[in-house]
Amino acid sequence: MKMSERMKSMTLGLVVVLGLACAALLVGWTDTLRPPPDPNAIDESLYVNGKTARRISLGFNGLAADWYWMRSLQYVGKKILNQPGDVALDDLSKLNLKLLAPLLDTATTLDPEFLDPYEYAAIVLPAVDVQEAIRITQKGIAANPNAWRLYQHLGYIYWQQGDYKASSEIYGRGAQIPGAPTWMVAMKAKMIAEGGSRNTAREIYTRMFEESADDQVKDMARKHVLLLDSLDQRDVLRKVMQIFRDKTGRCPTSWTELREAFRVLSIPVDVNGSPVDPTGMPYVLNSGTCEVELNPKSEIPIK
Amino acid sequence: METTASLTQPQTRTESRPSRLWRITAIARNAFREAVRDRVLYNLVLFVLLLTAASIFIGELSGGQERKVIVDLGLSAMLLFGVFIAIFVGVGLVYKEIERRTIYAVFSKPVGRGEFLVGKYLGLCLTLLVNVLVMAVGVSLALLYVNRGWDPLIPTIWPAVLLIYIELMLLTAVALLFSSFSSPALSALLTFFVFIIGHFSADLKSLASSMGSTSARWLFNALYYLLPNLANYSFITPAAHGRSPGVGFVFASALYALVYIVVILAAATLVFGRRNFK
Repeated sequence: MKMSERMKSMTLGLVVVLGLACAALLVGWTDTLRPPPDPNAIDESLYVNGKTARRISLGFNGLAADWYWMRSLQYVGKKILNQPGDVALDDLSKLNLKLLAPLLDTATTLDPEFLDPYEYAAIVLPAVDVQEAIRITQKGIAANPNAWRLYQHLGYIYWQQGDYKASSEIYGRGAQIPGAPTWMVAMKAKMIAEGGSRNTAREIYTRMFEESADDQVKDMARKHVLLLDSLDQRDVLRKVMQIFRDKTGRCPTSWTELREAFRVLSIPVDVNGSPVDPTGMPYVLNSGTCEVELNPKSEIPIK
Repeated sequence: METTASLTQPQTRTESRPSRLWRITAIARNAFREAVRDRVLYNLVLFVLLLTAASIFIGELSGGQERKVIVDLGLSAMLLFGVFIAIFVGVGLVYKEIERRTIYAVFSKPVGRGEFLVGKYLGLCLTLLVNVLVMAVGVSLALLYVNRGWDPLIPTIWPAVLLIYIELMLLTAVALLFSSFSSPALSALLTFFVFIIGHFSADLKSLASSMGSTSARWLFNALYYLLPNLANYSFITPAAHGRSPGVGFVFASALYALVYIVVILAAATLVFGRRNFK
């Protein structure tokens, strides 16, 4: 009797284990049979808007906001993964991010004090829907009038659009907030004086790198600073090449011909004597067009 | 199986009649033990697993917002689990005693019906207190782990935890009221409705102000003032941003809950007192 009971227990245990293993195998099998989703398919709209979501959240609105925030990140991340090649965070216009604005809007309606979605909206959304980016950031300012970072984000959006006057005004308003850094005042003046200059751009991205807590935003800002530094370097290299051309009547065939000029101008070079970009990758000399180009292996975005 | 009757029995043997407070304490202690034996606190294991998983994995998903997510998740789970305990254990407090017929043994002793209800209520409140305290310590530990040291959010979550506990106390009283005259299933449903409506109180007020007819305005205003305003106890989201409610707000909310609980328990005693167990 005891033996048969033990056998019964063992059989039932075996059925549970084998049954679960079979179920797992069947899930894997059905996954292989399922047709792949169409990457160009239109994203299904959100079922509830922010206001309704807040109303039905029953005090769990913070958690619901976190959920929508993570969904926004997953949504963009998935689209980036499906896209071949490198994609810059601030230029995702090709990815058809139709749902990004509603997702961020819902997250910020559920938790208006949650600042990260506003920053994401300011950085990522302008390439997709600039009006929505401005609206969401302004909504953030209305809900958090003492958050000077939101003014920085809105100033950035206007600067990107080339509206230096509006950008200057926003930086000025942000500078008046207690606790705002002093560079906000300088930025206000800079926008009016030299809004479109590389110096202003460098200042904006350097501040963004310093102030942001988001790794993706930091990385994007760092790459922009590297790009600006590289643009300055390439301007110098072009001048050096022009002087060589004026002297010899031809384009240099290799960087070694310019070694002396590089030494005099303290231009950093690698062991082969090739000038290097801010990431340490050697620039490519195109003798045919007499142009200096970024190394394809460099992480600096080609813009 | 321990019943309320078994606990109250030894006292009846003594010559002097035990005080009302003693009787209530004995019933409360027994209700707490019963909840523990019913493995109610097992939900803490699930909670710890949830928080541990969140602490380890949420960083990758939330874009550097793990501290906020842990507070939101931890306090929301605390409220949700607490609501389930308050509803499903609360509605069974009286019903189980009637079904097991142990209520006859209890009332054959010098125990008043009101004392019985208050004792049961306090027992479940004690269970919820243990539950909430362990969970709050869990959230604090998760924050310490994620921040690799002291986190300024830790002191700000405790006032929110207190408000959650007060909300659960209120809901337990509501569950007890319904269970004093209806079946557990219906009581659970009605208590859940009160939980939902309690969080819609702001809408009731705005609905009242937007109504055209005076009678409708009166009705919605009456609902707003008479139904428990549970939105007062939702301080999870501000806590996740490091904001704490003021002492005055917590005191007023606690006082409101106390008044409401006294009213509900009085109503429950009134209904339960008229109930015929024959």
